[in-house]
Amino acid sequence: MAKTDEHQAWLAELEAKSRAKQVGFINGISGKLRRPRSAEPPAHPFRGAPEFWNEFEWPIDERVEKFRANFKAAGGHSERLATMEDARAFIASKAEEMSAKYVIRQNQPELNALGLEEAIPDASFSVWNSDAEEHWKARAAEADFGIVVADYAAAYTGSVTVLSSKDKGRSVSLLPTVLMVIIPIERLHTRLGQILVNFDQAGRENLPAGIHFISGPSRSADIENDLTIGVHGPGVVYTLIVG
Amino acid sequence: MKVSLFITCLSDAIYPRVGEAMVRLLAKYGVTLQFPTVQTCCGQPAFNSGYWKEARETASTIIAAFEDADFVISPSGSCTFMIHHYPKLFEDDPVMLEKALKLQAKAYEFTQFLVQVLGVTDVGAHFPHKVTYHPSCHGSRLLGVKEEPLVLMEQVKGLEFVPLPFANDCCGFGGTFSVKMSDISGAMVNEKSEHVLETEAEVLVGLDMACLMNIAGNLRYRDKPVRVMHLAELLYEGVKGA
Amino acid sequence: MSVTGTQAGGATVKERAGLALNNDFLRKAVKFTTERLRNGKINAAEDHGNWDEWRERGRQIRLHTIAHLDYYLNLFADNARANGVNVHFADTAAEAVQISLDIAKRAEAKTVVKSKSMVTEELHLNHALEGIGVEAIETDLGEYIIQLAGETPSHIIIPAIHKNRYQIAELLSADAGETLAPDTQVLAGFVRRKLREKFLEADIGMTGCNFAIAETGSMVLFENEGNARMVTTVPKTQITLMGMERIIPSWSDLEVMATLLPRSATGQKLTVYMSGITGPRREVDADGPEEMHIIIVDNGRSLQLGDPEFQELLNCIRCGACLNACPVYRHIGGHAYGGTYSGPIGAVLTPALKKNVAEWDDIANASSLCGACYEACPVKIPLHEMLIYLRRRKLEAGRGDKMEALGMKGFAAVMSNAKRYGAVLKIGQLGQKLVVRDGGIRLKIGPLKGWNTYRVTPSLPKESFRQQWKTMEEEIRHGLQDMDPAMKDRMEQIVKDRAAGKGGHGHHG
Repeated sequence: MAKTDEHQAWLAELEAKSRAKQVGFINGISGKLRRPRSAEPPAHPFRGAPEFWNEFEWPIDERVEKFRANFKAAGGHSERLATMEDARAFIASKAEEMSAKYVIRQNQPELNALGLEEAIPDASFSVWNSDAEEHWKARAAEADFGIVVADYAAAYTGSVTVLSSKDKGRSVSLLPTVLMVIIPIERLHTRLGQILVNFDQAGRENLPAGIHFISGPSRSADIENDLTIGVHGPGVVYTLIVG
Repeated sequence: MKVSLFITCLSDAIYPRVGEAMVRLLAKYGVTLQFPTVQTCCGQPAFNSGYWKEARETASTIIAAFEDADFVISPSGSCTFMIHHYPKLFEDDPVMLEKALKLQAKAYEFTQFLVQVLGVTDVGAHFPHKVTYHPSCHGSRLLGVKEEPLVLMEQVKGLEFVPLPFANDCCGFGGTFSVKMSDISGAMVNEKSEHVLETEAEVLVGLDMACLMNIAGNLRYRDKPVRVMHLAELLYEGVKGA
Repeated sequence: MSVTGTQAGGATVKERAGLALNNDFLRKAVKFTTERLRNGKINAAEDHGNWDEWRERGRQIRLHTIAHLDYYLNLFADNARANGVNVHFADTAAEAVQISLDIAKRAEAKTVVKSKSMVTEELHLNHALEGIGVEAIETDLGEYIIQLAGETPSHIIIPAIHKNRYQIAELLSADAGETLAPDTQVLAGFVRRKLREKFLEADIGMTGCNFAIAETGSMVLFENEGNARMVTTVPKTQITLMGMERIIPSWSDLEVMATLLPRSATGQKLTVYMSGITGPRREVDADGPEEMHIIIVDNGRSLQLGDPEFQELLNCIRCGACLNACPVYRHIGGHAYGGTYSGPIGAVLTPALKKNVAEWDDIANASSLCGACYEACPVKIPLHEMLIYLRRRKLEAGRGDKMEALGMKGFAAVMSNAKRYGAVLKIGQLGQKLVVRDGGIRLKIGPLKGWNTYRVTPSLPKESFRQQWKTMEEEIRHGLQDMDPAMKDRMEQIVKDRAAGKGGHGHHG
């Protein structure tokens, strides 16, 4: 959606103000710290996790086992499946079991090749952003199932990571009632740090707008510290480790 | 080796039996405690209330009292830790700062000295009672005296140890806090006493007479016959009875 | 909201605490929940292992970032701008509010959906938005509940910690226009449905910021419900308010914060959602905000910079562990503190941010200085010491209590001189005879009133230790034992090591 010229002009005005203010604001900090401001990056001897932690790694089977245990402990479901065909069958059986009528999925090659549409013939399928005219947030909001392939997963915390792009909507892992996440086993790491370091290496220009770590179903303990599952995000989350 | 006793004002005035237990127990190991009578209070009430000028005056007295000691031992983790605040008190006075640092390096809480310095864990005591232990906040959290009292109690024959629920929670004393915020302090000590009573212990033991005075006062107010004593007293009584 | 909450129910922390102490339900509710959170944290830390190494690492990262905040904040602002974010700087709360209102007006916003943000509480932003006819809706379940009640959060992590399910059912039933059962699932289900509509129709999504990554200009949010993801995904405009100190250098540093924050806050290995947002939606994306603003707020934070006693306050990662560990907080709850932030961190942060130490002093007094906050803190902020510095600064500002000052002068006069001390002791030993009964003092008058409402004060024994010393010393000199040579060697070695600058023992740290 194109913004009006007037609005753009207003934003430009704000930016000019902000840039001017930034100089004084930052100089003020240097002043309070009682030293001149330096443009050079300071040496950061404590970057990231403690050294001993960076050597820690589980073998793949243990990784799978720990991931599943953690994910289940957080109230989610997790399966290990041998092939993508098994994943298709699993999702189809759950769709039938829960009578899923609307399904939305990311436009990812693994899902395009999976043939879910044929496996769940009774459901109405949407493929994220496959039509520029569609109101995609509404499609995701009405969906019973959202299906995504994870970009990464970390066993130690039981987390999956999904990155946004043209073909990967943030809404798909957020708005549907049930979330299905396929994790190709080679993307399952031990520690969070093994995932996070990629974003440092990629650099600012190459990061997507949304990087989301998901570690179970949406929950709250705000009422009498009593755990409630499914507050705003999906209340039912399946992670399927494939391979 | 000159080992000096820093009695602390509370034990001096109200609980001299604690000092006596320390003196007689350590004498068994050939440690003759010195007692510089010029000593007074560590200054914590003034320091914690923000009266640092006044705290410096009392701190100077303590520093002078123990200047020639090799080891300074006290029956209170809190008063010992107060000595750790002296360098901060004198940070702008290089001469006093150096003295403060020297005192800090040689100041020990009683069980710290017994276990870490003398290497004693079994004093040969016999104390056939059910005992629970309240670890005082400053001694355990700030000074780091956690294992020493437990190790010493483990070796006491006949002693049945019952862990105190929520042992690490503050008893609510907090010096002037117990006067200024008396209702909050009262709620805290009530809770602490309830936990003590839950254990059904005959004896509550600790390493800080201020906290123990607080809890004992509350137990007595409720007419509960729990005996409250410093670990030094328990050990000394156990040695006499063995 | 009609009540700003700051002075509700009493002018002093003592009065407010008194109200809380007499509210049995409140005390039980707060105790129950903080106990669960505290145990959860302890278990999570033990389960993870090497907790002190992680704390130390977290502390070092925070110390480093704050020590170079000019560099990192500038880097963050430049990078965020390069990502397409409209970055703003606000020195004061009023400025931050003004910028937010300008954006809302330009967007012709009717509704703002908010995820939990302590900064916006600090700014009383909801109130300001309502003033220009914009509905501000808190979407965190607990925040939604207390917004309905017209209250402010009483805990950083569990804002409605002071309410039970029956009170909540009543509030939500009124909101729903039908009777809802006091059942957690039913109540949460209602809020889900109700807020779903609000998310989809809102013009602006507003968030706080847990961490801001300098090197990539990204902002990171930790949450469990999914509402922060909603407000950063669905509305067209996103406004993020962040304290200027929320910065960390890199994503790698985020691993340390992600290890410390959830474990310390709720005992979780990671919150259900951890989202890193790098700019508004890309041109080709089909969701995410089209326009994104980040407002960097000072509002008193920079007062701590360069202050050796308080700079570490800026290390705080807002986990709430100090509240759960604090025995005072557990008895009086958050509202008794009278500021946006409660518990030990609030007792220090509130006066520090406002620079009106004198006015807030009675909060600094509401602590037994037990150090549980320091022990629980994932970045090791010495809050128990800062409380003492606050007390001292009040006196330095000439705002002390005159009677107390007189008392302390007397204390110093007596306690800096053993002769005077001995004389006072003797007076006490004699004088107490009037009030001692059965070895104790039960009088509830004067300074003893508060103490003796809960306790019996012990009497002074006939002789103090110093009065007994001469006799005792003679007795032990008679029966003196030889010291075990091994013991003697150890002691000599310790003294030698000390002289050589080695060793030392038992320090907090």
